[in-house]
Amino acid sequence: MSRRRHLLRYLASRLALVPVMLWLIASLVFLLLRVAPGDPIDALLGLRAPAEAREALRQQLGLDQPLLVQYGHYLGDLLHGQLGDSLANNEAVTSVIGRSLPASLELGVVALLIAAVLGLAVGFSGIARPEGRTDLAGRLYGIGTYALPPFWAAMVMQLVFAVWLGWLPVGGRFPATLVPPDGSGFYLLDSLRNGSGEQFWGSLRHLLLPATTLGLLLSGVFANALRLNLRRALDSDYVEAARSRGLSERRVVLRHALPNALLPVLTITGITVASLIGGALLIEVTYSWPGVAFRLQEAISQRDYPVVQGIVVVVAALVVAVSVLVDLVVALLDPRITF
Amino acid sequence: MTSRPRLDLVLAALLPLATALAGCQPPHPAGQLVVASKSTLASVDPVDITTVGGLQLLSAIGDPLYAADAEGRIQPRLATALPQLSADGRTARIPLRRGVLFHDGSRFDAEALVFSLERFRALAKLGYLLDDRISTVQASGPYELELQLKRPYSALAALLSSISLTPLSPTAYRQHRGSSLADRFVGTGPYRLASSTPQKQTLLPFDRYWGPPPRNKGIHLVTLSNSTALFGALVSGEVDVLTSSGMDSDQQRALARRAQQGRLVEAVGPPGEIGYLTLLSDRPPFNQPLLRQAVALSLDRPLISERVSYGIRAPLRSLVPPPLAGSKPPAWPAFNPSRARQLYRQAGYCQGRRLTLPLTFRSNVPADKLFALTWKAQLARDLGDCVQLEISGVESTTAYRQVADGAFPMVLFDWSADYPDPDIYLAPMLACSQAQGDQCRAGNAAAAGSFWSAPGLQAQLEASEQVEGPERLPLLQLLQRRTAAGAAYIPVWQVAPRAWAQPQLQRPVFDGSGRLQLQALSVR
Repeated sequence: MSRRRHLLRYLASRLALVPVMLWLIASLVFLLLRVAPGDPIDALLGLRAPAEAREALRQQLGLDQPLLVQYGHYLGDLLHGQLGDSLANNEAVTSVIGRSLPASLELGVVALLIAAVLGLAVGFSGIARPEGRTDLAGRLYGIGTYALPPFWAAMVMQLVFAVWLGWLPVGGRFPATLVPPDGSGFYLLDSLRNGSGEQFWGSLRHLLLPATTLGLLLSGVFANALRLNLRRALDSDYVEAARSRGLSERRVVLRHALPNALLPVLTITGITVASLIGGALLIEVTYSWPGVAFRLQEAISQRDYPVVQGIVVVVAALVVAVSVLVDLVVALLDPRITF
Repeated sequence: MTSRPRLDLVLAALLPLATALAGCQPPHPAGQLVVASKSTLASVDPVDITTVGGLQLLSAIGDPLYAADAEGRIQPRLATALPQLSADGRTARIPLRRGVLFHDGSRFDAEALVFSLERFRALAKLGYLLDDRISTVQASGPYELELQLKRPYSALAALLSSISLTPLSPTAYRQHRGSSLADRFVGTGPYRLASSTPQKQTLLPFDRYWGPPPRNKGIHLVTLSNSTALFGALVSGEVDVLTSSGMDSDQQRALARRAQQGRLVEAVGPPGEIGYLTLLSDRPPFNQPLLRQAVALSLDRPLISERVSYGIRAPLRSLVPPPLAGSKPPAWPAFNPSRARQLYRQAGYCQGRRLTLPLTFRSNVPADKLFALTWKAQLARDLGDCVQLEISGVESTTAYRQVADGAFPMVLFDWSADYPDPDIYLAPMLACSQAQGDQCRAGNAAAAGSFWSAPGLQAQLEASEQVEGPERLPLLQLLQRRTAAGAAYIPVWQVAPRAWAQPQLQRPVFDGSGRLQLQALSVR
């Protein structure tokens, strides 16, 4: 069988598993929410609402029905692409996700760019002299940024750049006194499309601090991955062969070692992208970034079942899609991979 | 590979960018102010709103029928006089203000108010506020409302001062008679809601408002999700005013210090929130009144207040916070370790036998955890030979769910009233529909987790709800004395709302319900 057919078969098997995986995730989150102590009525009404008022609200929200009936409704709606309405305000869950997911993705993409640029630069910098000062500093950077607690790093960045220096806003996604741009929910793109410099700078100023913090924290992984793989590649036989042919060191590194060293980095990028789709909870909470993780955390504390279920299912679907895509890209780029 | 990355060049390139970004901070439009708090707002519809932040917003974009002034007196707002009660006290007529317009230009009248109140009763999560007291609502004239009460209720005007009952335009809400409208609001308040997201609401002055116009050109209410960010935003000048709701004590203290140094302006409102312990009175160990009274005497409130909140959460020995009627004199005893030791001894402890007091606190409320830890240490210091505190944390939603099942021998909760009246503090803890001796089998006292009552207490509670004026005061004081003697509830502290503003602004002002008057914010 040709490699291409193998690849297609592999892809088909992965895609066939997606609905099963989503059903499992959807059922699990449904069950876990009901098993967890507390319920939406208590979260909405607090401590002292009379029993009659609690029962009335329970009926109004359909929470008085047997669990199996609720599960049936939930799965039925899911099959029709409906995620239900928030218990807190009756807003469609699709609209909640439509508003918060672009915020998380915008933060994630910019953070990833920063992480990649910083991480690859640091990872590459020590190659000229292994175990030298630069290499050692790069290694320390990789370990240090990876080990930093995100909320602590975020608060320090807030303190330095927002409170002390006053360069950037403390939190939020857009200046309070401006009207956010209409459109896709990706404020940078929307403001560019609207041609509004004020909106663009406003968005960028709010994005810069959380994205840099997240990028900094992620960059250590990239730095270490590139450093290790590049070192391994530079020690391999084919690089020795290239050197023995008289190729310049620059050419050996850039044309022969680097492409192979970047393949594992690509896989790490894929995993990081997948994890960022669900938002970076601590960064979003610290910077009041209205992303999907921030919304999910709020919904869990309010026991807003439809919102939690909807976010988890949509994020899971996107994560699965991204991992399949990354597998595919790596397989296309690396002929050594078999299925 | 001998070339080295020029870090200095990279930094040199980044510096102008940083400077440019810092310089690009958009100025606040002239006369408009940014007010920050911790509350996110899922909906601006009064039927959905239950949080402090939501009620704060409603108080700026809506109008109540009555409002409490700074001294706690109820004054007419959209009503023109206090309710006129029938001889049996079951019918109330309320004359309404003429010439009031909704934000969509439609006219406010009795029919509009009936529409709003009926909608609230049908949809609101706090609909029980009205349902408990009022049987029917109707317009008895174009500008007169008639309410049929289930029983006479002296705090009717206070109940109608709840901003949740603010009238809405029937024209704008016609399509939402049976469903909530999360992102728009059309009421009669001094501001109209120009835009709304969960993290930000923009309010602009309503130029056809019936009352005095706001002193500013608009308010941007923004949400920041944690105390550190709120503190940083005010200190860096990003926001003009900050409210204390949900802020940690550390940051509140730091802001108060800045205010003392003249770098900020601070305002304190009337306390509306109380923190109290509930003791499960129908099971050991707290089925012994003696032990409950001993626990009440074992609490060193001033010390705990100082250690937990630097005194911001002021000690409280009444279930009704001042300045409400009945809050003075304090009915609960002050800390008295020698008397407490006597009572523990009478109960058979202290002579080589220590009582374990199990305390549950809400693990997601930082002040509650600090209270538990501090009280544990204080008891170990002062009464360590008699009692030891065993503390455990439970998430608030779980605690609310399980308290009515009698799951917690002793638990710390807080309570914020929806309107300023003693009844809204006492009835939810004491009302009992099925009492047996000093046990409550059904009713609010059971739902609150104490299961405590006392012979004749329910009758006294109902009497206090029906009497007005000076005659009510002795009844309220008696109720509190009896509750203090029962010691199934032990008040701990009271929390007053605070606000801090930039020094160039006028001192913020709170109304009698503890809400910041946004329309009064202005530059000096």
